[in-house]
Amino acid sequence: MTFERDARTALADGQLRGALRQATTLFGERRRAALATVPDWEGARDRARAIKDETLEHLDRYLEEFAANAERAGACVHWARDAAAACDIIGGIAERRGARTVVKSKSMASEEIHLNAALARRGIEAVETDLGEYIVQLAGETPSHIVVPAIHKTKAQIAALFADKLGIAPSDDVATLAAAARDALRRRFAEADLGISGVNFAVAETGTILILENEGNARMTTSLPHTHVALMGIEKVIPRFADLDVFLQLLPRSGTGQVLTAYQSLITGTKRRAEDEGPEELHIVLLDNGRSRMLASRVTRQALACIRCGACLNACPVYRQIGGHAYGSVYPGPIGAVLSPQLFGLARSAALPYASSLCGACRDVCPVKIDIPALLLHLRAQVVAEGVAVGKGHLRERLAFWIYATVMVRPRLFAWLMRAVRSLRIMPPLGAWTKWRDLRPLAPRSFREQWRAGLGDQRGPDA
Amino acid sequence: MRSGDARREILHAIRTNLESSPPVQSSPSPERRGGQGVRTPEGRGGQEVRIKRFTEQLAAVGAQCTTVRSETEAAAALARILADAGARRVVGSDAPLVQRILAAVGNDIVIDRLERLSRDELFACDAGVTTAQWGIADTGTLVLESARERSRLLSLVPPIHVAVLSVRCICESLGDALARLSVASHAITFITGPSRTSDIELTLVVGVHGPQTVHVLLMEGP
Repeated sequence: MTFERDARTALADGQLRGALRQATTLFGERRRAALATVPDWEGARDRARAIKDETLEHLDRYLEEFAANAERAGACVHWARDAAAACDIIGGIAERRGARTVVKSKSMASEEIHLNAALARRGIEAVETDLGEYIVQLAGETPSHIVVPAIHKTKAQIAALFADKLGIAPSDDVATLAAAARDALRRRFAEADLGISGVNFAVAETGTILILENEGNARMTTSLPHTHVALMGIEKVIPRFADLDVFLQLLPRSGTGQVLTAYQSLITGTKRRAEDEGPEELHIVLLDNGRSRMLASRVTRQALACIRCGACLNACPVYRQIGGHAYGSVYPGPIGAVLSPQLFGLARSAALPYASSLCGACRDVCPVKIDIPALLLHLRAQVVAEGVAVGKGHLRERLAFWIYATVMVRPRLFAWLMRAVRSLRIMPPLGAWTKWRDLRPLAPRSFREQWRAGLGDQRGPDA
Repeated sequence: MRSGDARREILHAIRTNLESSPPVQSSPSPERRGGQGVRTPEGRGGQEVRIKRFTEQLAAVGAQCTTVRSETEAAAALARILADAGARRVVGSDAPLVQRILAAVGNDIVIDRLERLSRDELFACDAGVTTAQWGIADTGTLVLESARERSRLLSLVPPIHVAVLSVRCICESLGDALARLSVASHAITFITGPSRTSDIELTLVVGVHGPQTVHVLLMEGP
């Protein structure tokens, strides 16, 4: 399984683990501080989840309402069954507009459908404009964190990268590096024919899409080019404009620990008058790509409530050690471990539901109360039931559990076995466990034996 | 048509999958739950309290604020802001108030009109001056509506953004602001402090793609 191999690679990378520890700890602390300013955080979480549940329950109706209202405001709404269809639609729009260069602001959905590669095949260059995404793209890598895509890179690595690709003098001053990226990207913004963005929330009642960010690159992407394409998963819709209130309070606090990110752009259709600012065309692409299937069960449906804040990544003891790349998916961390198998097929991500200690930290921080451990267990059961990834390890595991179950329901067999183990001093074969920990030796006599020998008659010191 | 087919297919898949599962056991329907979600503790009070909270929050998010009592004072404050920053080329929005303030700013500064600028010239400007339609006290946020003014690019592209806001337009909370907005504006922008990033080693850099400086001219009086 590639997950095991990649996780090992990540664990051996001291620099990566240091950066991860710093980032996840900082975001965790900032998040806690941001929550402290909210008197009824639990109430807000409940309300947000109830809104999401209500929306998903009637997703067909809310999507139709959203599409109708967005179209009434001048947007063109497209429906994409899968990744290939979405890439075709966006590639088609770009070609029709004669676009050679497109600027992109951060969109997980665009990474999910591998849009940049699809555009490149049509001879169209897609430029990532979020600083972290830009760094990752220049380096020919993939993001390792939802909120901080280039968290795996040091400023020295970024300085060398910029010196090589942008021709700037090497500098380890972060502000200088950011300024170099700004200058390079301003030229791209000025020449781009098309802007592609993601969507954080889509309001059915008004046909509005909302995009959150801190840098201003999403505003550039959605304001400067003549055509704006917004790509969104079908689960991004919420019923009412007023519902934005609770989600805007939950998302930045959970993601970056900010009370509000620097910018929220609320876009409703296209400009009304010729002299208005902004694109002439707005295309909204609604992407299914496996999402509708997740509605079929109450357990799996929960994952569609996710607002992509990244809080579960920062809280996860597994993610905190291995980072995003090991998950081998655009969606890393606990939420990725439940989304990837459902979106891209269990066979391709069968190891991910096991990439968790089921400690529940993800569920505790989730602003929409997704029960990720329950989902992980559900998917593990599915892995077993469907017989995906049956390897030697799985056969051994099944055998071990069969023996365990057989012994544990037979007290006399258990006692006899334990006596044998004790007298023969057999150590159980737990190499993976004892590699990092000492196994305590077995007591010379079992508790039951000691009890029968009079332990039960003694009074404890406190009695 | 293919697009129509995809729409039908997706909606059909949604309905089929929803029908195959019992409804999610969830907390009470959102309409029946009280309140508007989160409420911040402080700041319930009159205009004075709102203004105080708004200016405190502006400072917390790294924006500057100057209180002015007239257009003359606003022009003087703007001239100072521009001189201190060494700004030479300034563009104002089409709001009459902005035009009047800019006209009184003095003659060391080149004042351009947005509609006469090419994209390259816009990129070369030092400062953009707009009004803001609303302020949000709880968060130190400015709200700009496209139907009221051409402020979308001027509040974004130049490194300095100066926004004129009347104290009467400061709302209490995000929810209050959302309730006052109308989607007659095709673009509504919420601005909370300057543009920022922590993408390189989590080190905060202010002023990435958007302005490095956000300065609010808070207008008191009639």
